[in-house]
Amino acid sequence: MTKVQLKGVRKDFGAFTAIENIDLEIASGELVALLGPSGCGKTTTLRMISGLEVPSFGSILFDDKDVSEVPVQDRNVGMVFQRYALFPHMSVEKNVAFGLKVRGTPRPEIEERLQEILDVVQLNEFRHRFPAQLSGGQMQRVAIARTLITKPSVLMMDEPLANLDTKLRGEMRRFIRALQKRLGITTIFVTHDQVEAMELADRVAVIFEGHLAQYDAPDALYQRPNSIKIADFMGATNIFNAKVDASGQAQTSFTTLKLGPDEIGQGSRNASVILRSEVIDLLLTAEEAPADNTFAGVVTAREFFGATVNYSVTCGEEKIIVTEQSRRLVEIGQQVWLNIQPDRIWLIPEAA
Amino acid sequence: MRRRKATSALNTRLSPFQKIYLLLFAGFILGPFIPLIIQSFAFRWAWPDLLPSTWWLEQREKSMLPLAWDYVLSPYSRMLEATINTVFIGLVVTVICLAICLPAARVLARENFRGKPAFEFFLSMPLIVPEAAIGIALLMIFIRLGLAGSYIGIIIAHLIPTIPYMIRMLTAVYQGLGRDFEEQAMILGANRWQVLRLVTLPMLIPGVVAGALFTFLVSTNIFLLTFFLGQGKIITLPTLLFSKIAGGTLDASAAGITLLVTVPGIILLLVTERFIKEEAFGKGFGN
Ligand SMILES: Nc1ncnc2c1ncn2[C@@H]1O[C@H](COP(=O)(O)OP(=O)(O)OP(=O)(O)O)[C@@H](O)[C@H]1O
Ligand SMILES: [Mg+2]
Repeated sequence: MTKVQLKGVRKDFGAFTAIENIDLEIASGELVALLGPSGCGKTTTLRMISGLEVPSFGSILFDDKDVSEVPVQDRNVGMVFQRYALFPHMSVEKNVAFGLKVRGTPRPEIEERLQEILDVVQLNEFRHRFPAQLSGGQMQRVAIARTLITKPSVLMMDEPLANLDTKLRGEMRRFIRALQKRLGITTIFVTHDQVEAMELADRVAVIFEGHLAQYDAPDALYQRPNSIKIADFMGATNIFNAKVDASGQAQTSFTTLKLGPDEIGQGSRNASVILRSEVIDLLLTAEEAPADNTFAGVVTAREFFGATVNYSVTCGEEKIIVTEQSRRLVEIGQQVWLNIQPDRIWLIPEAA
Repeated sequence: MRRRKATSALNTRLSPFQKIYLLLFAGFILGPFIPLIIQSFAFRWAWPDLLPSTWWLEQREKSMLPLAWDYVLSPYSRMLEATINTVFIGLVVTVICLAICLPAARVLARENFRGKPAFEFFLSMPLIVPEAAIGIALLMIFIRLGLAGSYIGIIIAHLIPTIPYMIRMLTAVYQGLGRDFEEQAMILGANRWQVLRLVTLPMLIPGVVAGALFTFLVSTNIFLLTFFLGQGKIITLPTLLFSKIAGGTLDASAAGITLLVTVPGIILLLVTERFIKEEAFGKGFGN
């Protein structure tokens, strides 16, 4: 159980700045996902926390103690690499026991802990195999077991699921989550898949080009992104410019939307409104719609995903995406009415 | 079906051309040894006879062993001394060469620094400069330092042509080995020495064995440098052989020595061949 803090951390590689000034605090026992596009500095951040890289500026603290200068071997952290880095010349057993062996743990204790951890990751029958004889999911469990057996105070995983197929990925996510909860180990998980980040993490740190863009719980990040870029990255599709007035009305090119009570009396300004595609109701008649925030449109395209359907609805100049459970299918060309509840609309101020 | 066809195509008998090619190849390698073997078992073999006029077998009562082998195996030939010297120098050179080249190759394979291309060029210099030039230069220095005619002098001299090869081989191996494994080992708590012993070296084994074998063979074959710096005080198999044939006679005992000189190399090759295959590739490397 360790609290991890990054204070003003910056990392330069020669003239190139990979990380510019990140402040991050990870509570003890928390699972935090580092989310961001390729090359934004996720791996670099992990490597600094683990001690494989020294920050150019700033400091890294474990439980309020500065560990920036502590060598890797003495930090007692665990890291699962993206490509697992299993030692090819050692059996599963030897791979897993490696961390204990180099610490000089007595043999009987190694045996005992090895047995215990192999049971946890369900790899007992593979203990004498070599890495080349394992499947991707098995290799990954070996990598996790090898890290967990040393009882690290901070567990880091660098896109550990990237090489697995969809089904296995789901299984491994649940496995990691359950294990993490059971052991209560502070965990940092790198991914560039926002669904994975939201499913797994207590909090998500979004990194863009070496900056910490937002650090929030998954639902907050999804529903209340603090910039258009984050909204975009989190999969938001309906983002429109609007003029907001003091009475809490947002004027867009296709309609005037009434906003939630928080937005009333804040003065008039320009902003972007985000209409999450799954909170918009699609109605076939005007009569059944509430009076507020209902506007007309025409279905111009339909995408069928099995469980859900996406409709493109053209309202005036704009196109709005609506996601529905596929209990019914609306035909293309159909006249429809869209409705959205005021408190489901999220505003991003102009500058952001 | 197609699959079976493909494998059987590999197993079909060689074409006449391939057979002739293999035969020529074997002839070039083994051919020179045939007269040596005949010579070493001859009692009298005078020019221009195609085969010896008298074989040792016919004169058995005169000597227990073939004449040549009798001499070669006797203390007068100094064979034992030369063999021990050769193997000892070869081993020490190999170990020192590895100790120097492992860290150097690691840096060359993984880091970029100013002047790296120039450095790499200078590394090949000993391969370009004639051995005699190096030998004479070293001799002048070593005589002043009192290293001429000493084991240390010869070992240093042998390191000069072997280091460039070794560095090249190990650099290539290091480039194939990602940093991940070593970093993972460090995170798991291994210190430098443990990382080297438990992770890096075992993974480098095929390259290290090949490099060590090569260095050892080169060292045991170096004549000129050993000759200059040994000053006649330290003899190795190549210098012994040279002194045997320097008089211009190629007699039965010279043939015997020549044959013996090739034996350690062949044994070493067979041993390492098996070792590399079993240790590294048998355990799921490279697949
Ligand atoms: N050793 C290095 N030398 C120079 N530049 C580096 C080095 N390591 C990383 N970088 C650069 O720093 C930036 C961040 O790299 P990093 O590996 O942290 O990205 P990432 O977020 O993990 O990306 P991905 O999702 O593709 O793994 C990249 O632009 C990369 O090119
Ligand atoms: Mg990465």
